Amino acid sequence: MDVWRIAWFTVLCAAGATAVMLPPGVLIAWLLARRQFPGRALIETFVSLPLVMPPVATGLILLVLLSRRGAIGRVLERFGIEIVFTWKAVVLAMAIMGLPLLVRTARAGFEQVNARYERVAATLGARPLRIFLTISLPLAWPSVLGGAVLAFARALGEFGATIVVAGSIPGETRTLAVAIYSFAETGQDVQVFRLVLVSIAIAFAALWTANWLVERRAA
Amino acid sequence: MRPALLALIAALTSGAFQNVPSPKPITVSAAVSLTDTLTAIASEYANGGRGTVRFNFAASNVLARQIVSGAPVDVFVSADEAQMDLVAQAGLISDGTRVNLLSNQLAIVVPNDRPRTFRSVRDLADPAFKRIAIGDPAAVPAGVYAKQYLEKEGLWTAVASRIVPTGSVRAALAAVEAGAADAAVVYRTDARVALRATVAWVVPVAAGPRIVYPAAVVRTSPNVTEARRFLDFLHGASAVRVFERAGFAVLPVRAGAGPPRVPSRGR
Repeated sequence: MDVWRIAWFTVLCAAGATAVMLPPGVLIAWLLARRQFPGRALIETFVSLPLVMPPVATGLILLVLLSRRGAIGRVLERFGIEIVFTWKAVVLAMAIMGLPLLVRTARAGFEQVNARYERVAATLGARPLRIFLTISLPLAWPSVLGGAVLAFARALGEFGATIVVAGSIPGETRTLAVAIYSFAETGQDVQVFRLVLVSIAIAFAALWTANWLVERRAA
Repeated sequence: MRPALLALIAALTSGAFQNVPSPKPITVSAAVSLTDTLTAIASEYANGGRGTVRFNFAASNVLARQIVSGAPVDVFVSADEAQMDLVAQAGLISDGTRVNLLSNQLAIVVPNDRPRTFRSVRDLADPAFKRIAIGDPAAVPAGVYAKQYLEKEGLWTAVASRIVPTGSVRAALAAVEAGAADAAVVYRTDARVALRATVAWVVPVAAGPRIVYPAAVVRTSPNVTEARRFLDFLHGASAVRVFERAGFAVLPVRAGAGPPRVPSRGR
């Protein structure tokens, strides 16, 4: 049945989105927690925008930028890369919608790391990258992981931006949330409830795993 | 991570492309209310070796904005004329390809544990109908039509305080099926598939608003020939059967308005 394919596709895309956003997300979180630089407030606001904007608006902005007449889409087309209406658009929409959750959670984690450890390491001659990898990141790890799981869970349920920039193309871009909408709109309630049950199961598994990982680390 | 993800997704989606007769499928953006009928028609189309179709199903206003923003779409089938007009105004409709494909009627439904049959639409003013669900007249086409109709019948002021606007026409139907609303104005095609709601009144074609589903080839389509062929097929006998079974009326192709190769086969 389609349900498993849709579920599997959604999990893959959400995992892909989490992987894509982790490096920039962690870097931004650390910069916001530890560094003063011009434009800091601007970046902070910019990253959080998807939290406050209607997801459909975020999707429209992505669509305008990435379609073949858009600023980014025009350049990508020259390299033969199509984003709009493909799985790549699903991953991108999920990543952008999940990023604020990752950044905010991870940032709180970095802020809780005692800055003295980092300063001591610096006086002992460690370079910033080494300090980050051996002190800041390991100590903030539970928050980074928690943020990643939150972002993953958000990605699983992403609807508004996805349906605009990736469309609802059966077998190609239709995620759980989009499929639930489509089935509800065509009156196929049995399918709707099946998909809802699968969504709940996946979200439960993800959050439970995250809690387990964090508690195991803390213990 | 990335190559692995690519491989997995490729494996996952490859099933969709088995037995593909033509290498490049056309993309058809269609109103979500047409999901079942168009999917059935496209599979006949593919079985006949004519070509493959990939659908993008969403609300017509979303589809129109996608096309205006430059999304790669070959054919647009809208649930109302306003959204097609929006695309036309952007100069994105291929000349001479716009046709009025389908027509629908409004129907008033009630929960099937309290069935009724109206003698006239005025029965809706009965105080027993405390909550009447319709699509939000500010945004949902079905709601716009419902309000137009009730205004035309001089009923709007009598029922306005009892109207519950919903986010979509399906939500209006669901409200009746759940027993949360005592009546709803929906499309006849929706009423036909409802399990826990029954039709109290079908709005006669002459009395109701003109509900038209237009279709057209998008100007930026790289496969205009293929797109036109599919549009023609939607007027063919086998497609008409599918549409009519679902409760749609298939409109005849007017001379000069549609693809020129197609003889009129509608009713």
